[in-house]
Amino acid sequence: MYWLRRAWAELKNDVFVLPSRTLALAWVVALAVLPAVYADAYVLRILTMTCLFAMFAASWDLLAGYSGQVSFGHALFFGAGAYASALLSSRLGISPWTTIWAGAAAALAFGVLTGYLCLRLRGSYLSLATLAFPLIVLGVLFAFPDFSGGELGISGLRRLAATPVANYYVALCSMLATVFGLWLLTESKFGLVLHAIRDDETAARASGIDTPRYRLAVFAISAAVAGFTGALYAHYLRVAGPSALEVALSFQVVIWGIFGGVATIYGPVAAVFVLYPLTEWLGSFKSFGELRLLVFAAIVLLVLLFMPRGLTPWARDKVEARCPRCKERNGAWRSACRLCGAALA
Amino acid sequence: MLQDILVTGLVNGGVYALLAVGFSLIFGVARIVNIAHTAFYMLAAYCFYTLLAKTGLGFALSAIVSVCAVTALSVLCYRLVIEPVREHEAAVLIATIALALIFQELMLYFFGGNFLGIPSTLEGSVRLFGVSIAYQRLLILAVAAAMLALVWFVLYRTRLGLAIRATANDLEVAGLMGMNVSRVAMATVALSVALASVAGVVVAPVFVVDPFMWLAPLVTMLAIVVLGGLGSLKGSLIGALVIGYVEAITVFVVPAGAYLKGAVALSIMVAVLLVRPEGLFGVTFEEER
Amino acid sequence: MTTIMRSFIARALIGGATLSLAASVQAQTVKIAILGPMAFVQGENHWAGAEMARDEINKAGGIRVGGKRLQVELVRADTNEIQSVPDATNAVERVVTRDKVDFLVGGFRSEAVLAMQEVAMDAKKIFLGVGAAHSKLGLNVEQDYNRYKYWFRVAPTKDVDLARTLFAVLGSIGQQIRTELKTDTPKVAILAEKAAWTEALVAAAQKNLPAMKMEVVGVWQPSATATDVTAELSAIERSGAQIVFTILSGPVGISVGRQMGERSMKAVAWGINVEGQKEEFWQAAAGKAQFVSTLDTYAEVEMTPKTIPFVRAFKERYKKAPTYTAATYDAIMLLKAVIEQEGTLDADKLVPAIEKTTHVGTGATATWDKRHDLVWGIGTTAGIAVQWQDGRKVPFWPPQVKGMQPFRMPPR
Repeated sequence: MYWLRRAWAELKNDVFVLPSRTLALAWVVALAVLPAVYADAYVLRILTMTCLFAMFAASWDLLAGYSGQVSFGHALFFGAGAYASALLSSRLGISPWTTIWAGAAAALAFGVLTGYLCLRLRGSYLSLATLAFPLIVLGVLFAFPDFSGGELGISGLRRLAATPVANYYVALCSMLATVFGLWLLTESKFGLVLHAIRDDETAARASGIDTPRYRLAVFAISAAVAGFTGALYAHYLRVAGPSALEVALSFQVVIWGIFGGVATIYGPVAAVFVLYPLTEWLGSFKSFGELRLLVFAAIVLLVLLFMPRGLTPWARDKVEARCPRCKERNGAWRSACRLCGAALA
Repeated sequence: MLQDILVTGLVNGGVYALLAVGFSLIFGVARIVNIAHTAFYMLAAYCFYTLLAKTGLGFALSAIVSVCAVTALSVLCYRLVIEPVREHEAAVLIATIALALIFQELMLYFFGGNFLGIPSTLEGSVRLFGVSIAYQRLLILAVAAAMLALVWFVLYRTRLGLAIRATANDLEVAGLMGMNVSRVAMATVALSVALASVAGVVVAPVFVVDPFMWLAPLVTMLAIVVLGGLGSLKGSLIGALVIGYVEAITVFVVPAGAYLKGAVALSIMVAVLLVRPEGLFGVTFEEER
Repeated sequence: MTTIMRSFIARALIGGATLSLAASVQAQTVKIAILGPMAFVQGENHWAGAEMARDEINKAGGIRVGGKRLQVELVRADTNEIQSVPDATNAVERVVTRDKVDFLVGGFRSEAVLAMQEVAMDAKKIFLGVGAAHSKLGLNVEQDYNRYKYWFRVAPTKDVDLARTLFAVLGSIGQQIRTELKTDTPKVAILAEKAAWTEALVAAAQKNLPAMKMEVVGVWQPSATATDVTAELSAIERSGAQIVFTILSGPVGISVGRQMGERSMKAVAWGINVEGQKEEFWQAAAGKAQFVSTLDTYAEVEMTPKTIPFVRAFKERYKKAPTYTAATYDAIMLLKAVIEQEGTLDADKLVPAIEKTTHVGTGATATWDKRHDLVWGIGTTAGIAVQWQDGRKVPFWPPQVKGMQPFRMPPR
């Protein structure tokens, strides 16, 4: 009873006061309840893929938005997780439920390695160096086709769950858990330190923060999440191939991240939920389905002209205002801040 | 074999130099990582093909028209798409990616996914030092050298070049000194895309033309500019030659490993970055905030 | 949720409702999904072959199913598999769940078809492969028959059988060289793109060629997307090879053809050159790819009684010659034959029927083995060999088929 009252109090005071949080809650509920209302296999497949890519985009945002290390080769961690999990489960016969964690661990190792190699690099140099890593790994994979399956990859992987609905819930729960976890991480002291490092690394170091350690840590966490997603993806499609490492995927996650709004975590997630089903829907048209990428790029370009900071910052600014005194967000219709009482402009 | 390597490395290096120098120019002046740079190279190749195949214009005229058309298009794109979002670096980045994708899909739509061949401007080959070199490749080398010399001339002997170099050196102060920074940026974009279009027109007869031909040179070009140092023209030139030779050596010495030439070039770039984080001749922009 | 998301869900709900309503009312057509990369030549041919089959069947009154006659309805599904594997699986899911098709035909990129096969088998729909050669697709049938039995490969023969055809033709070319050039052991340079699918072929070539009294002078492996093969060709020239055995599927095939012609090489190219099978090859190689020869499927020769009429009708309708993915025509005709034979659309009843049937198609006379792969045979399913001469693809093998012309060697 106490917990119910507590939950209700939290909801009333923390969630419903802000339209964006209310919307997020409604969206979570809608996603959770969807299969009970409409269990169409096609829609479930699209939403499963969307959840997986949303996790992937959120992990990129942690790395690029919060610590300022804009990675153009995030597909490396995705592919590492996919291949590691695929190799372990198909060659050694281990259950996929175990190998996905192994995939995350392998990706974490790659993340630490990449982070270490990029410690001295800044800005565009770091971005372009990260672009190179997945391509080098691709070359290595093609050099050992007996081990890696070459351009065909590893196929015939075991599913995590049997039915589309079960797979959907696996993806959904993983996505909600990781995105919420990442968001909590960024709202904590760790996130504060990351902000400091991104804004002015010299000042952060002068304040006594061990910036290399934080940068490595972010690479590791981001890579682990991306690798976990890659493993889930491989077991869902039942194929882990070089398409999990390609440049197009790295560019795609950059587009999602920036389109949704960097340094928000929920921004890229929203971007994936808007753009991925949209692209798929465009592709289903018989007449101009083949132009889907063109329409996608055009939409991205046009939207960017009006919302250069991204989708979610623009949307939030429409419905919320920031208090000039305590800097907390309030509903835009309010005349006074809900926390400190200052007059909202 | 040594002669093969020398010649091939030089020709490939020349082509990469055209692309890399242009890219470095834009980055140095406008701080834009122009992912669509090689997409313009692709557009020039397609334009050249269309003019050759569908109209009666000869090689020279088609080439000039293609270069001019693509350069004009690039300035238009810059004005419409890049300039409005100049202050938001992240937005500029995906704007260029989106532009490149749009060009790719447009070419895919109009020309199909087929590979197109353009007849060589010069047929035949010559035997030099025991190696048979096609005239077309010598032409590529000659044009690359001429264009690079032209760029050097513009940059170091004209007022516009002075303005470009000043803006690249310090954007704010150049503006304070009364230079129209946005116009200088446009001129730089035009110059750099002109270089890329020339590359597209000259190289297209030797390679195959398809809507995805911009991806592979993009990666190699990025490796080169990073290797040479972002914003440094000398670095791009030297980087282009280095990578050109590395690829030639990989292909000739290890024929079974020819598919690895991209990975080898990238590994070299990473290795250099580990030792010199700004590339060979790079400039660090410490004051950049 | 955002407005866009809301309207999408609303539209999806309405669309789904309409379609299920329609589905419950109609069952008047046999719906066949044509899956392929529609923006590319392979997908275009998938669709073209299917259209020709559909129009022919519907004009004759449709397919007899039990007592009724049903028209054929095609669902065009762009898998975009060359660029994205998930797009392909989404497309399969869409045609199965939304469009409620009865049969699936097509596929091209092996990595994508492996994933598409999974979705199709989940839905227990018959999937006739027209384009992907990888053996794993058939191996799945053997290892887990009950799940994968709905898959059949209509074209091409599986990759290992392609090897047998290649060596058969290589033997015949080798013999021609022995007589014309008066040399006992012709020298062969292997030029294979670096890819998993060529590994087995390269190994097989290195093992078999000496047994065929031919010498392997070297193996060169450019990247599949290489645009410059000067290095490889210079080295091959130096080795004195008379035959360049090509195992190429990517655009490197165009570069090889063009640069061999530009260098006026004395060696002749034979093997798999997928780009060389397309009509556009001559133009793509700027008119230089004289004497390049490759394995192919369609030409105006009498492979089966249906070949020449089909090729001519295709050329008249689409103004270009068909490539091997146009065998969707055969796939649909096969479906018509077994449906009419069994009188039902039920997949479980049709599978054994296809296993036992012999189908005389346009490019092959097909029978299937226990892996649901084509049974190989020269003159039945092995295909033909063509050589580019003066801008045209001239068929030259197998010699016993009517319409074949002689193979030409480059001048020495």
